[in-house]
Amino acid sequence: MEDARECLRDGVLNHLNVLEIEALELSRQQQLCLQQQSRVDDLRIMVDKLRAQKDQLKARAKTTMSLQQLKAVVHQRNEEFNDDISEEGCSMTAKSQLSFLMARKTQVKDLLQAHHLIGGYDVTETCRGKGVCISIATAFEGFYLETYNLELDVSRAIQICRHNIPPFIPLEKLAQVNLQTDLMGFLSTLSHHLNGFAGRRQQIRLIQEVLRDSVEVMESNVLFNTIVLMCADPEENGRAVLCTLEYSDLSRYLPTKVTIESEDKALPSTPQWKESQSLLLQTPAHTALKALKMKGQIA
Amino acid sequence: MDDSTKQVLRQIIRRIPLNKLQNMLSKWEHLSKKQLRSLEFTQPKWLLCDNLLSICEENDLSMKHVTELEIIYRIDHPAQGSWNVCQLIDPEEEAVTADLLHFKQLFKAHLRGLISHVSVKTKKHEDGAIWIRIAWGDNFTQPNHLKPTYVVHHLQTPYVFVSGLTMKHKPLLHQALVLSAHYGGIKDVHLSGRCLTALRDLLMRQYKQVFPVKHPRLLLERSPLPSNPNIQMEHAKHAENRLQMAAEAFGEGILPKLETAVYKLETRFRENGNGMLGRREEPFRGVVKFASSNLLESLKYCVSSGMASAPVTPLLSSITQKGRNYFVITDKGPGASHTPGPNI
Repeated sequence: MEDARECLRDGVLNHLNVLEIEALELSRQQQLCLQQQSRVDDLRIMVDKLRAQKDQLKARAKTTMSLQQLKAVVHQRNEEFNDDISEEGCSMTAKSQLSFLMARKTQVKDLLQAHHLIGGYDVTETCRGKGVCISIATAFEGFYLETYNLELDVSRAIQICRHNIPPFIPLEKLAQVNLQTDLMGFLSTLSHHLNGFAGRRQQIRLIQEVLRDSVEVMESNVLFNTIVLMCADPEENGRAVLCTLEYSDLSRYLPTKVTIESEDKALPSTPQWKESQSLLLQTPAHTALKALKMKGQIA
Repeated sequence: MDDSTKQVLRQIIRRIPLNKLQNMLSKWEHLSKKQLRSLEFTQPKWLLCDNLLSICEENDLSMKHVTELEIIYRIDHPAQGSWNVCQLIDPEEEAVTADLLHFKQLFKAHLRGLISHVSVKTKKHEDGAIWIRIAWGDNFTQPNHLKPTYVVHHLQTPYVFVSGLTMKHKPLLHQALVLSAHYGGIKDVHLSGRCLTALRDLLMRQYKQVFPVKHPRLLLERSPLPSNPNIQMEHAKHAENRLQMAAEAFGEGILPKLETAVYKLETRFRENGNGMLGRREEPFRGVVKFASSNLLESLKYCVSSGMASAPVTPLLSSITQKGRNYFVITDKGPGASHTPGPNI
């Protein structure tokens, strides 16, 4: 109100002038803002365009690089062909050689992927072709357990560079047998050993988890190839029964020898326990003991 | 209790710090609950020691029981001395089916056969290792319990960890080990340190190793993604490569705690200028020693942050790959000078 009275002191026209100047100022500012806004929108659109361009260029660079690599391989092969001159001569042109190599590469990649899916060994190239890393997966009863890796140096003779296989698996002995001559055979024996070990260890773990109240693992060793289990008779005095499982074949997860002992000397020779002895020889320990518990033969 | 037993007990009590003493004594299980309660652990140690001695005399404890206390303490606190590692080589057929009881009997029998006055005590640890405490005497003196040797062996693996062994008794111990574990020989692995669990983890590969696999599990230590999508690290790929190489060379997660790495140089001095040292024919002997509270962690950081050159030099990666931390480097090249480590 005071402002208005002050302005009106100078006259209505002056007041109207002041208001006009103010209005022009405000509209100028509004126009500036709108301009800035449209510039920001333009810049945003440009950023998106540039990003798309960058992604495109990156994809192109990647394919050109892989093409160049294949071209280098083709070049090398051509040189080799030119060195030892064959009688028919080199019939394939460079382009067809290139497409042949590309087809081969995708085929090998698909094979490796399929091998991975069926649970076979994974093979990856390392050190630009001088080395290979093989991953062996272990599984028991449909569950994947650990994966063990081996890095091999294939430049001259096949040598194992490093690995994470535990030291109680006799790796050196297996390598001496057939690493140089038959790689697949070596890998398959190693895989059997590792799977056998993983299977035996998993059986003990399952017994300790599921059958905690009935069965106690008295003794085991790092390779899990000699295991002593203690269970109790379900009668009142609950005589202890000791089952010793010996696995002399390290690549199997079933025992080769089962001995049953008890304080009561007659117990192991009863037909029930003879049956359980053969059951323990044929099924994995945790399923056999679970079956015995359900039958009521152990507490 | 005779004087020597008392002396040994005093030494053991002196070594065990007061805050751990009560725990050790209750684990020892040779004192009754009443006697344990009667000891006041707030007294000065020498007074406590005297009280404990009188209680032990009451219970009529002998050297055998006293050494049990020492072995219990040492098992719980293995970092008291420094450990050296040996490896048994040329396994015979029976090595795989080695049995704890047989090994104990054979070892005691062989050692007693080699040296007449020796006191051997064995104890099985929960993780399957067997701890052996040996007090050495010779043909004329009784075993000296004040300077025992400790040996830790994991059955079915070729590694033996030894602490407190003198040069005089080394061949005897090696002979007894080789015969009782059914191997053909034994060699020194050039790995030593104070932390027994670290040495064991390094050799038994119980730390997480990284391999160049096609479907890798995510490296836990990858740097967090930048919060703003407009910021892109220009050298992101290089940083990732360095991190991957560091992880492949040294491992991932919690690394075994090695404390030192020693490189003994016997190479000629190479110099750019015309200095005096470069003209000499004989090797310039020097020793490079890396020391840290966790050596592998520091080396890994050096590589992943770019301070050390990116494909990790085999001098550093041999620490984990070959499992040793003492190297002798000569001019002919690392292959000729390194004695082969425990790996293939």
